[in-house]
Amino acid sequence: MATLPALEKRPAVVADVPVTRPRQGFRKYWHLYAAISPFYLLFLCFGLIPVGFSLYLSFHRWDGLGSMEWAGLSQYRYLLSDSEFWSSIGTTIVIWALATFPMIFLAMVTAVMLNSAVRFKNLYRVAYFLPNVTSVVAIAIIFGSVFSTNFGLVNAFLQAIGFDQIAWLNTPWGIKIAIATLMTWQWTGYNAIIFLAGLQTVPSELYEAARMDGAGPVQTFFRITLPMMRPVLLFVLVVSTVTGLQSFSEPQVLLQNTSNDSTFSGGPGHAGRTMVLYFFQQTFDNNDFGYGAAVAWGIFLVVVLFSIINWRLVQRRGEE
Amino acid sequence: MRLSRRGLLRAGLAGSAATALGGLASGCAVPTGSTGRNMVLWYWDGGLGDTVVKNARARYDSSVDLQAIKIGGYYRSKLITTMAGRAHVPDIAGLKGEDMASYLPNADQFVDLRTLGADKYKSRYLPWKWEQGIADDGRMVGFPIDCGPVAHFYQYAVFRKAGLPYEPADVSKELDTWEKFFAAGERLRRRIPGTSLLTDVNSVFENVVQQGSERYVDKDRHFIGDQEHVRNAWALAVEAKQRKIVSNLVNGTPDQLSAVEDGKLPSQLGASWATSDLKNGVPKTKGRWRVADMPVRPSNNGGSFLSVTKACREPERAFEIISWMLDAGNQAQGFVDAGLFPSTPASYDLKQVREPDEFFGGQVTMDIFGPAAQKIVVAYNSPFDIALGQPVKDEIKNVGVLGKDPEQAWSDAMSKCRRIAKHLGVSY
Repeated sequence: MATLPALEKRPAVVADVPVTRPRQGFRKYWHLYAAISPFYLLFLCFGLIPVGFSLYLSFHRWDGLGSMEWAGLSQYRYLLSDSEFWSSIGTTIVIWALATFPMIFLAMVTAVMLNSAVRFKNLYRVAYFLPNVTSVVAIAIIFGSVFSTNFGLVNAFLQAIGFDQIAWLNTPWGIKIAIATLMTWQWTGYNAIIFLAGLQTVPSELYEAARMDGAGPVQTFFRITLPMMRPVLLFVLVVSTVTGLQSFSEPQVLLQNTSNDSTFSGGPGHAGRTMVLYFFQQTFDNNDFGYGAAVAWGIFLVVVLFSIINWRLVQRRGEE
Repeated sequence: MRLSRRGLLRAGLAGSAATALGGLASGCAVPTGSTGRNMVLWYWDGGLGDTVVKNARARYDSSVDLQAIKIGGYYRSKLITTMAGRAHVPDIAGLKGEDMASYLPNADQFVDLRTLGADKYKSRYLPWKWEQGIADDGRMVGFPIDCGPVAHFYQYAVFRKAGLPYEPADVSKELDTWEKFFAAGERLRRRIPGTSLLTDVNSVFENVVQQGSERYVDKDRHFIGDQEHVRNAWALAVEAKQRKIVSNLVNGTPDQLSAVEDGKLPSQLGASWATSDLKNGVPKTKGRWRVADMPVRPSNNGGSFLSVTKACREPERAFEIISWMLDAGNQAQGFVDAGLFPSTPASYDLKQVREPDEFFGGQVTMDIFGPAAQKIVVAYNSPFDIALGQPVKDEIKNVGVLGKDPEQAWSDAMSKCRRIAKHLGVSY
């Protein structure tokens, strides 16, 4: 504002050259800006504003309908002392680990097999990708039956090989394993496709050279394939960390029957109550929107922490 | 004019950008409530009888365009989001009974139905149900739709085989205390091995709590979940577990349904609406069931309300519509349409609701549910009941399902409650 009078004094020279050129630029490129604007507008409406609002909310007490009450840092103080939140972090990480490591192993095996398959290659790829585009709710309902005590496929198999029945959805470890199995099944195919893409970028000369030097298939895999696949492996790990830490629908649908009146309580002993499930329970069962927002930011920090760990891993590999 | 491809693209982009901007601009002027002749009513599938809604549309067609919309999914969060956003708020909103306590502190979001003359209808409704729709400051938010009196469903032949009373009148009379009920469960298990009277301990715990007039937090925002009424329910639930009358199955799972079908779970304490769960879940058991009174006294589970929101432009008209839709005749129709149990005692004698039910061996179930609905006691439901009841329910489930030590479970529940109470500003 202070510079305006100065501009008015010498309009002829100053205004013409530097001011109108960006205007011309905008006039020239406006349609490009318009073309990319839908994303930014949508992101603003459904991304940035809600994120900002949730931060604002986390410093308040609010039942979702009445007036908001300033709470300062008390929601965060309670979050730090909330043992249920900490145990939900533990639950999430256990389920994530139970799901991710078998998943990566199976995906790698599948990818290697797909890579060497000669016939029906595309058919296999589609088949392995399908679980990933199936609705989680539908999968969870099916898995609920698969893991049911008296009629479940899993128990039928266990009994066939001489073991006792396990009440999968009624014991803490059973619940975790059931959820992890579901996630493994859902993500193995998707990651196998990614690994397959990685495998195909490994130059065939390396394999030829290895064969010339007398390396067997096992040695080739560990000495050539795996090191070359490291970036792909890390990508898969990062993606599955981010999705795994936010698991919600899987435990929610799988355990909604076992949770008498709250569909977000995660089964007996809260064995399947992940962080996001806990966030939902606090927000939508208890109407504690302020605390819910604080829990959401707590989840955000946990995910950031894991992302940093992953990122450090990638960096160190890069330096080697 | 010749249209170049570039020109066409440019025009298209300009058009879509203008639409987007226009949308944003008009977003600043969204109507709070409905416009024109519209009278928007929000409810959920099965929340009102279809015939009743259709008749109401036709009846008020000359004055308003009644748009009854079934909202799917998580109803309450959609309603409060709309109300908090102050845009397109329905004129009439259904409120679920279990959410009622959370709406009442915000009674100012609704029209006080007393100002529209609700009091003159009061005598026609169940008194305890009427009270549930009223906020602490006396404002009336909800007009009663249905209620959910709980009764004892049992399989006639199984009870007979186990040497238990099997005619509804005898079951009601002889299993009228928890002690006798549990003893019957033990007898059942002795006579027919592998049979349990109830699915889980929570059905005992919840029903005993619901039978009383107190829950977890009182009107003065004080935690009462550590008092006699909850301790008693806890003790009975633990006893049910120790006397082995509950199964280790999970409600609603294929395992449980098949046990019910095989007569291994021949008994349930369920609300009136559980009849449709039975009919849909285990259709093969048609004719095997009977209904009797539950032990001690009936409790209530579920039941909802209609409200007029602050955004409604014609509250008088809205109230006229809801009081008509929920009169005794239409409540009887709601029972026929959607199994909504009437909150108007006058409906209980109407012919439509007194049809013998073949699923229950030709029994007139209204003979049990009707009197039960009138014996339910008034209870205060606090908006903090959900948060402070959950730890207790979770821990009793741990006792029932995981075999956790009851003493330990109780003290864990209480320490969780203490922490949550402090956080929510409820005195302990």
